[in-house]
Amino acid sequence: MPTNLLLNISVKYWQDFQDTLAKVMDANIYIFDINGGSFSQFSLPVELCREVNKGRVLRDEKCISFYKSALGSLEDKDMLTCPYGIKLCAYRLGSYAQKIGFLIVTPTRLITQVGREEENIFVTKAHSIYQTINEVFKAILEKNLLGLRRLELNSIYEISRLMTSIVELDKVLDLIANSLIIIYKADLCFVGLREGDKIRIAQAKGEHSHLLTGTEWPLVQPLIEQVFSKVEPLSLSLEELRTLPGLGGVEVTPGTEIIVYPLWSALGAVGLLGIVAPVSPDDNGSKNLQIYANFAAVALANATFIRRLEREAETDFLTGFFNKRSLRNMLFTELERTMRYGTPLSIIFVDIDYFKAYNDTYGHVAGDVVLQKTAEIIKNSIRSVDIAGRYGGEEFVIILPGTEKEGAAKVAERIRKSIETYPFPYRQVTASLGIALAKNNDSADSLLERADQALYQAKRQGKNRFYLDPS
Amino acid sequence: MSEFKKERIEHYETLLKEIWTASAKYLGMVSVNLLIERVVWEVSLEYKEIELLQYDQNGISCARIAAGLEENPDLPVQDMFKKFITRYVAILAKLLGHERAEEIKNKLKEEVAGVSFSCREE
Repeated sequence: MPTNLLLNISVKYWQDFQDTLAKVMDANIYIFDINGGSFSQFSLPVELCREVNKGRVLRDEKCISFYKSALGSLEDKDMLTCPYGIKLCAYRLGSYAQKIGFLIVTPTRLITQVGREEENIFVTKAHSIYQTINEVFKAILEKNLLGLRRLELNSIYEISRLMTSIVELDKVLDLIANSLIIIYKADLCFVGLREGDKIRIAQAKGEHSHLLTGTEWPLVQPLIEQVFSKVEPLSLSLEELRTLPGLGGVEVTPGTEIIVYPLWSALGAVGLLGIVAPVSPDDNGSKNLQIYANFAAVALANATFIRRLEREAETDFLTGFFNKRSLRNMLFTELERTMRYGTPLSIIFVDIDYFKAYNDTYGHVAGDVVLQKTAEIIKNSIRSVDIAGRYGGEEFVIILPGTEKEGAAKVAERIRKSIETYPFPYRQVTASLGIALAKNNDSADSLLERADQALYQAKRQGKNRFYLDPS
Repeated sequence: MSEFKKERIEHYETLLKEIWTASAKYLGMVSVNLLIERVVWEVSLEYKEIELLQYDQNGISCARIAAGLEENPDLPVQDMFKKFITRYVAILAKLLGHERAEEIKNKLKEEVAGVSFSCREE
């Protein structure tokens, strides 16, 4: 029998059943798989067959090639004569949608000894055997299908349960990919997230998955465009799959099904789900796969939404910098690290000089431009490990992990000079800066307080300068 | 004969427990139990008795299979478990990659000497 998901049966148990049926019906039974290969053995010895087959096993090459060629062209049923003159009835098992194999029924005596009337009786008997065996196979298929459906439902249940804790996006993606590999024995499964104008593969499992994870596919890539041009999944050929970045050298066994589901939510396209499996899903299987795709879409849409909310909650809208709350949280973390590892930590308080006057004179829009440009100058003057935020109004705070006072002074001077020389609209703008180095017993508040005091000193000494906290 | 089979079952139970622990570490409980359910279903088409395998979030047990030997002493224990493990490891290899599945297989071979199984499906 073909090794597919739905028809899997013990040959031993089948042979027992087939032999019993053969005895009861006084006819010989033999079954071939869909490729013309042997599945079961002859149930009863036939004199002529016993001679060539040494009892029960079909061994004669002539017989095998005869069956392969005759069964290959068999429509539904036919009366055939084997190379040794035995008349036999051949049937195709299964349905057009689910082909199972072929059934051969022969009389227990040589056909030459059977008269016309007996031949008719034999044909009727063979048809009854065919109906019985076909029904049994159908029942086995149904039973196996139910088992598969139970597996699908269980995993869908688990995924839906996890959806209530959607913050664990990685877990949901992991479970979706694992479930598809386990249930459909998929060779490859991948989930892509939409990030702006591209799809980033966030999760991939199975063969070639290491080539895929983290890969980015532009939305304008012809195949990706095709995927998102409709709601339904897209079936791909191997050649089409290979056009996707990261999958150029991929190999799959012939007959493999490659399906890509676009993941849609109320917000639009959120990603895609791809599956490369050895078996085409039937109607119900396709519906269940669509359920996985829908879950993945909801999970991704929710996660994207939550991530955006989180980002907005910690970001200053005007400058794109961290806001006061997240800046303080990060300062707590950095102070802890400094205390634990004994590394230095400096902070810089930046305040734009005469900002209120600039705002009042040239308007809030011009004032906003100054704030945005100052943020840009700060960003360009610090390392990627440094943290900058808008503390409020025209004040900025910069956290410099692993930096002593001297290093912080260099950064402060660089920022001061860049602001002083930048061609702001209407007039020159300057800034004053206060620097403080974290001490062992410092809290976030005390450190900020000392930096603020240093800033006050810089202002007092004439502005457009930095001042180092001496303590 | 039955005593020998019971010993074999105990041997396989140790092996299955090792596999369960190793794969739960990488896949998580939900996926591991789904994987076991899938392989139990597949093997049960040939050996109904595999449905007596007990598993949940606490682990895996062959106690009911051992008890079932009283009723069916002819149960081909070795073949049944070999098929179970082979199919389990074949899917595990897809999930974790052949390299990590081989690592698990080799670790098991060291810890449970005398039990042979393959990473490839037969």
